[in-house]
Amino acid sequence: MAGGIEDKIMWATGAASLANVGLGGFHESMLMAAAGAAGLAFVGYRTTRRHRLLPVENRAAAPPEQPLARGARRADPNSDDVESLVDEMLAQQRFCLLLRRQIYENLTQSQRTAARQALEAGMALVPHGGVQFRHVEADLDDGPNEAPPEIVPVDGFYLDRYQVSNRQYLEFVAAGGYEQMAIWEPTIWAAVLDFTDQTGHPGPRYWRNGQYAAGEDNLPVVGVCWHEAVAYARWAGKRLPTTAEWVRAASWPVPLSPTKLLQRRFPWGDGMDRQRCNVWGSGPGRPVDVGQYATGANVCGVQQLIGNVWEWTCDDFGALVPPGEDVLLAAPMKSLHGGAFDTYFENQTSTQFQSADSPLARKHNIGFRCAISVCDLHLLDHDPADDFTSPEGAL
Amino acid sequence: MTKKTFLELDSYRLAQYAVQIHCYVCGGGNTFDAELCRHCYAPMALAHQAETQKVQPLMVAVLGPSGAGKTVYLGMLMDMLSRQSDGLQVLARGAFSVNLQQSTVGSLSRGEFPEKTPNEPERWNWVHAQVRRQGQRRALELIVPDMAGEALLEEVNHPNSYEAIPSLVSKCGGALVLIDATRMHDSAVEQDYFTIKLLAYLIELSKDAQNDWSSKPVALILTKADECEPCMSDPNGYVQSHASGLWRLCKERFKTFRFFASGVAGACAYRLTPHGKMRIPLRVEPRGIVEPFAWLVDQLKA
Repeated sequence: MAGGIEDKIMWATGAASLANVGLGGFHESMLMAAAGAAGLAFVGYRTTRRHRLLPVENRAAAPPEQPLARGARRADPNSDDVESLVDEMLAQQRFCLLLRRQIYENLTQSQRTAARQALEAGMALVPHGGVQFRHVEADLDDGPNEAPPEIVPVDGFYLDRYQVSNRQYLEFVAAGGYEQMAIWEPTIWAAVLDFTDQTGHPGPRYWRNGQYAAGEDNLPVVGVCWHEAVAYARWAGKRLPTTAEWVRAASWPVPLSPTKLLQRRFPWGDGMDRQRCNVWGSGPGRPVDVGQYATGANVCGVQQLIGNVWEWTCDDFGALVPPGEDVLLAAPMKSLHGGAFDTYFENQTSTQFQSADSPLARKHNIGFRCAISVCDLHLLDHDPADDFTSPEGAL
Repeated sequence: MTKKTFLELDSYRLAQYAVQIHCYVCGGGNTFDAELCRHCYAPMALAHQAETQKVQPLMVAVLGPSGAGKTVYLGMLMDMLSRQSDGLQVLARGAFSVNLQQSTVGSLSRGEFPEKTPNEPERWNWVHAQVRRQGQRRALELIVPDMAGEALLEEVNHPNSYEAIPSLVSKCGGALVLIDATRMHDSAVEQDYFTIKLLAYLIELSKDAQNDWSSKPVALILTKADECEPCMSDPNGYVQSHASGLWRLCKERFKTFRFFASGVAGACAYRLTPHGKMRIPLRVEPRGIVEPFAWLVDQLKA
């Protein structure tokens, strides 16, 4: 039984990774084998390197705590103890893996309840529906002769209530996330060695000795590139939200007609309110705790969609809304949304505004939050998606 | 029979023209209703304001090659200082002082950089503002012109091409010198040479102790440093490794100087126009804009 569930957890993680990589069939198997060999070699190198770089005091594993304290390392879970493994995953905020169909059925009732409670506490359900994209300056009330933009359908999904914090990301780093090559895209393996902090340890750019600064537990993790965000999401059993999902969660569209949605420019309404978000001139000029500015939450309780730090999404820049036929990018970029603590213009913090950066950029004001589709979760006792089924024909 | 008529006597108006108003920048005589000085094209409002307020404003030069970001820097600086509620604050004097801020911020919020400053001095923007640190009563009156980079280059290479520039620069109490960090990174040595020439030109202008540029404060700002993170985190080290000649000149010729790094756009793309590729900002997040100016103001007060 114990071996079975662990195998399934591994299978689910691997499946999620491969699904995200987007490969299929025979090539997938071949790649997996090659990936495994290369991954082992890489892990060996990385582990040796990390051990060499780590100060002596950091090499000893700290006793497990919930949540993981700054600078501590979780003890390796006992592989024979399923209960402790599940507890470990819950403490690491990897509850989405437990709610995968393959795993969920093997959990006890109390474990299922704990996983569902963790889901409800950490993520908010955004019901399925549509979203329209228009130019950021366009009037919300288009003229009668103007064709409304196409409605992009979005399936129901869960979105993290908060941006991923330093403390959460430390779980990933401490669990050897930078050495688990299955969660990194093979094309980026060589670059992963460069994803180090100020002291050469694997981790976000602005950390030191594999740790964030004291007192910054609940600040959003920054200095992580798009690939690191994707890897964290896979490790947690989640993924990055798509542009359409992000905009749908933030603008909370309400159908006015089959071709027109009423969308908000900001999660709280159409007008900018600097008291509800951390943008230039309204905050301390730096990132704040991910739980601050509670009044800026969207309808379903997702906080700080606007301000604090930009958020990576999984799409390429301009994938849904081309920035213009005449716009050229020096290199492919990934889409960013929401604005940051230093975003100067209000129109660049609106729900529809899209910025971008290189997928390798590790900047001081870019973080992320994760999502997962409702269809990827198995909630036997209660499937929230059923509660939000729209009336027929409505979006 | 004699018919009585009333004729207006306009000669008193002519008397006004007889008294010349001296330009605040170059000191040249102008008529009372002149909008710009006919010698150096500075706004005559500067002279009128200095006269009515009985305060002699200080002047600061913003120098740098074309495309270094002088207009963006100055426009953003004025807008940030006029909006922020703590630290250094500015209050514009005269409507003309808001033009630069308005055009720069308008362009950036539309996702464009402002157009290049024209070479003609009569089309340059000028800023006259009261600068005050929150909580301090003592304010500083500052005049800052936004000169065209190409005109500066022409004047440096061929002195007296633009009469306005030497008179204006001589009168300045300090300078903000802008250098494109990305071009420096790309080993575009012209950038280094131009800044060296510019600083040498300033030294050349030092004719007496009052105009001795070697003792005036100079803030050297590496712009677009957001695209060049090593520069943003350590501007001094960056200059020493990428522009050692410039670093040495500053060390030997200027008593009070400091290097800064700044950036306005978080990321950039290009837009195709009939005239070629145009750089556009993908978002605006100013960094390191206020610090050089605040340092310079402190030096000027000292």
